[in-house]
Amino acid sequence: MDWQAFALTLKLAATTTAILIAVAVPLAGWLVLGHSRWRRAVEAVAALPLVLPPTVLGFFLLVLLGPRTLVGRGIAVLLGHPLAFSFTGLVVGSVIYSLPFAVQPLVAGFSAVETAYVDAARLLGAGPARMVLSLLVPLARRSLIAAAILSFLHTVGEFGVVLMLGGDIPGATRTLSIVLYNQVENFDYAAAARTSAVLFALSVLALSAIYAAWRPSGVRRG
Amino acid sequence: MHAFPCNSAPRESLRRVRALSRALAITIVLLANVCRSPAQTPLRVAAAADLEPVLPPILEQFQQATGIHAEATYQASAALTTQIQNGAPFDLFLSADLGYPKRLIDAGLADAAGSADSTTPIVYARGTLVLWTRKDAHLPPPSLDLLRGSDLKRLAIANPDRAPYGRAAVAALTSLKLYDSLKPRLVTAENIAQTAQFVDSGNADAGLISLTSALTPRLSGEGTYFVIPRELYPPIEQGAVIVSKTSQRPAAHKLLDFLLSGPIQAQLAKAGLTPVK
Repeated sequence: MDWQAFALTLKLAATTTAILIAVAVPLAGWLVLGHSRWRRAVEAVAALPLVLPPTVLGFFLLVLLGPRTLVGRGIAVLLGHPLAFSFTGLVVGSVIYSLPFAVQPLVAGFSAVETAYVDAARLLGAGPARMVLSLLVPLARRSLIAAAILSFLHTVGEFGVVLMLGGDIPGATRTLSIVLYNQVENFDYAAAARTSAVLFALSVLALSAIYAAWRPSGVRRG
Repeated sequence: MHAFPCNSAPRESLRRVRALSRALAITIVLLANVCRSPAQTPLRVAAAADLEPVLPPILEQFQQATGIHAEATYQASAALTTQIQNGAPFDLFLSADLGYPKRLIDAGLADAAGSADSTTPIVYARGTLVLWTRKDAHLPPPSLDLLRGSDLKRLAIANPDRAPYGRAAVAALTSLKLYDSLKPRLVTAENIAQTAQFVDSGNADAGLISLTSALTPRLSGEGTYFVIPRELYPPIEQGAVIVSKTSQRPAAHKLLDFLLSGPIQAQLAKAGLTPVK
């Protein structure tokens, strides 16, 4: 078992999740509370990574944020190295790749909050930031947990983006899914079975946590 | 919805079901016809990634010469081997080395029937490793000195565990006693085509790629290459085998003979592969 890759994968997933929650909570708040006519378009763009094949996404990032574009050169100057083949590059790729998995549950959760509460808060003079943080987030906390766990898991299982953008560098870009792929391609099926068992266990644990949060014990349906 | 469904609703849905089933029946008949006609089944070729710039025009000439339509899938030789082991419907496997096709022969999944020794893959070409850089990379022209110096921040190679060119790259760097010092600066691509793409997109400064990639119009316009001296790495002998459960053995043999024919071998030489005949 490649524990370095295991630790790297957890670090990547945790970093990505933290950034995604910080981005997705205000974005989902704006999508639910806002009245801008750009809302639908922004919502559609935020869902795009669901449609694009991850390898294509990885390739776009490699080229668009590569040293041959203006943006890419700016990033290279800022970081001291190009985005590709670095942990930072994978974080950027993962944030884009998992964005819908953070935004969609939050939008659903925020939309389910009764409009009476929102109207009351607005009448009492709460600004949008206060409404999101003191009203929507606490009332939709299960959606927040779901968004965090889904983003985390989706990043753990990410493969195509890492394959295109990573360059398979141990400790920097070699994640568990790449290790698993390497093991399969090198005909080391026993090691591949062990790696997938770890991934499998991790996913079952996290998904059980989601469902526990979704339906707390004691509340039964039907 | 309506509390009292009007009479036309069931009739309407019945008509829809009929129309749908008619469309379905037509589709099934069409599909069945397509599947039945043997001329529609192409010869499926699993080809190493270094052949991607080379093989398509050859397959076209093959179709003109024989009327046999062949379709190729380009991937790392190891990936293709895994797929064939797991029953991928290929007829012919053109590897970038001898090890992977040999592995399939040993597993009883492929053979070289028709050649002098049916248990050894048929060598159809030899590969050449080159060091390639973009012209706009602000680096001195590619040479062994470029590898020895400190100008290179990132050097792309193909995965040495499974891409024959990656193995050759590591062998060459080891012969030059540079592998340990360059190791932290190596980025590994999935196959030789992606190695070229890492450098072409500007993300790696230089790459050890196949001469076949370096000679494509795109890369030869944008960069320059240096041929790695052949004594630095074991020869990249590219072997072919016929997948044993093929239903198109004669066609697969024809394509192999075509590949080994004089004019096509000369064409391979122009495209960056060393002919074997």
